[in-house]
Amino acid sequence: MANYDPSFAREVFQNVDFGEEIKMCMQCGVCAASCPLSTEMDYPPRQVFTLIRAGKREEVLNCNSIMLCTSCYTCKVRCPRKIPVVDVMHGLAHYALKQGFVPRRQPAVFGREFWAQVYKLGRIDEKDLPRRYFFSEGLVAGIKGTLDFMDVGLRMLLHKRMKLLPERKIKGIQSLRKMLDKAERMGKGGAGA
Amino acid sequence: MKYFLYWGCSLEGSGKNYLASLEPVAEVLGMEFEEIEDWNCCGASISYVGAGDLAIKVLNARNLALAEAEGSYDIVAPCSSCYIQMNKVNHEIGEDPELASKVNACLAEGGLKYSGKIRVRHLLDVLYNDVGPEKIREKVQKPLTGLKVGGYVGCQSVRPYGEYDSVEKPTIQDELIQAIGADAVPFPNKMKCCGSGIFLSEIDLCLTLVKNILGDAVAHGAQLVSTVCPMCAMNLELYQDRVNKAHGTDFDVPVVYLTQLMAAAFGLDLKRGAALDCNIIPPEGLIKAAMG
Repeated sequence: MANYDPSFAREVFQNVDFGEEIKMCMQCGVCAASCPLSTEMDYPPRQVFTLIRAGKREEVLNCNSIMLCTSCYTCKVRCPRKIPVVDVMHGLAHYALKQGFVPRRQPAVFGREFWAQVYKLGRIDEKDLPRRYFFSEGLVAGIKGTLDFMDVGLRMLLHKRMKLLPERKIKGIQSLRKMLDKAERMGKGGAGA
Repeated sequence: MKYFLYWGCSLEGSGKNYLASLEPVAEVLGMEFEEIEDWNCCGASISYVGAGDLAIKVLNARNLALAEAEGSYDIVAPCSSCYIQMNKVNHEIGEDPELASKVNACLAEGGLKYSGKIRVRHLLDVLYNDVGPEKIREKVQKPLTGLKVGGYVGCQSVRPYGEYDSVEKPTIQDELIQAIGADAVPFPNKMKCCGSGIFLSEIDLCLTLVKNILGDAVAHGAQLVSTVCPMCAMNLELYQDRVNKAHGTDFDVPVVYLTQLMAAAFGLDLKRGAALDCNIIPPEGLIKAAMG
């Protein structure tokens, strides 16, 4: 059995959004039992929290669990210690990616493109985002992804469920970006206001 | 009854049948909507990849601040993800004044401020609590008699806050289904996640989740499934042939927005009012048969 090593836990408390919330965990496992994807995870949330306490930095920041959370909030409503498990998982994933880990490649790529579009336009363009996602891994992957999803796109188009005009930037995009930049500086682990 | 309607990024695209049926239904029910001028995306459930928590809060607080400067109506979010993202800011700044001042310090970069006065509500909440099943029943011209509807609740329309319905045993959507003359078919997996934002990046996992939801709905006798979220609607409807291929199932279950069923029951045109032509798995046959 591993000894408890508080250094990583301290790193998590200081730098990870909602990281200090794991102090409340009593290892009951309700989160694991409630999670729709826990069977796909390297470690269920309960175990992720133990690994943090045990100082297993690499294991935690590399595990797919922190990127498989779909934000269904079942764990959060059931946790008897009121830990916002979803937010902790998202916080860990964000921190892991910032530290250069890639806990799960595809959601990381998709999420990066998603946020890039929010930052660029202020809104999501439902046509453009999948295209950017498919082509972000190169031309071949892009063509393959596009062909694979051609049926979906065509059906959406034929049933009028595709906005034909490209999404334009919101009027206040410049000021939105300033707000977001400031938030990143002021946020946990940021450079400060 | 006047509200800000927060469109979100889906309602003009993949959720077209939601908006197209919501608008005429709202008119019948005497609800009036105003768009929040220059609103931005809520960030949905995947923004954590690119942004820290404070930035995601500020993104949502901008919409709330814009609404607050424009009027004092409640915001109605038809999309569950938009609803929860904006609502989360309200809850968290309400509990934490220090966070409220941080959020406002960021909003000030764009000359905005938010005092926390705008309520964010899901469409389902407003339909049930402001309009009410009684009034909805009164407006029904063509009850959907005998139509067995699996009311799929999904995740973020009630979790985590459970402001208007139980987080474990929600009933409101079923009550509204009954109000328009159809039979609500409760099924245990109506609260299970559809996969939401991992629909492209983790498609195999998403297909399994969709299979478990549809399989349960069908096993309990549902002929079609209704939803109140564009993401749920898309995952449950669009992926059925992929689910069938991957899991050897034979799903062909129409997935409609609750507002589409309401529009049909109110006697509105099935295309122009209920936007049934936007559905990929056609629900007309079942709905027409129920209307008699």
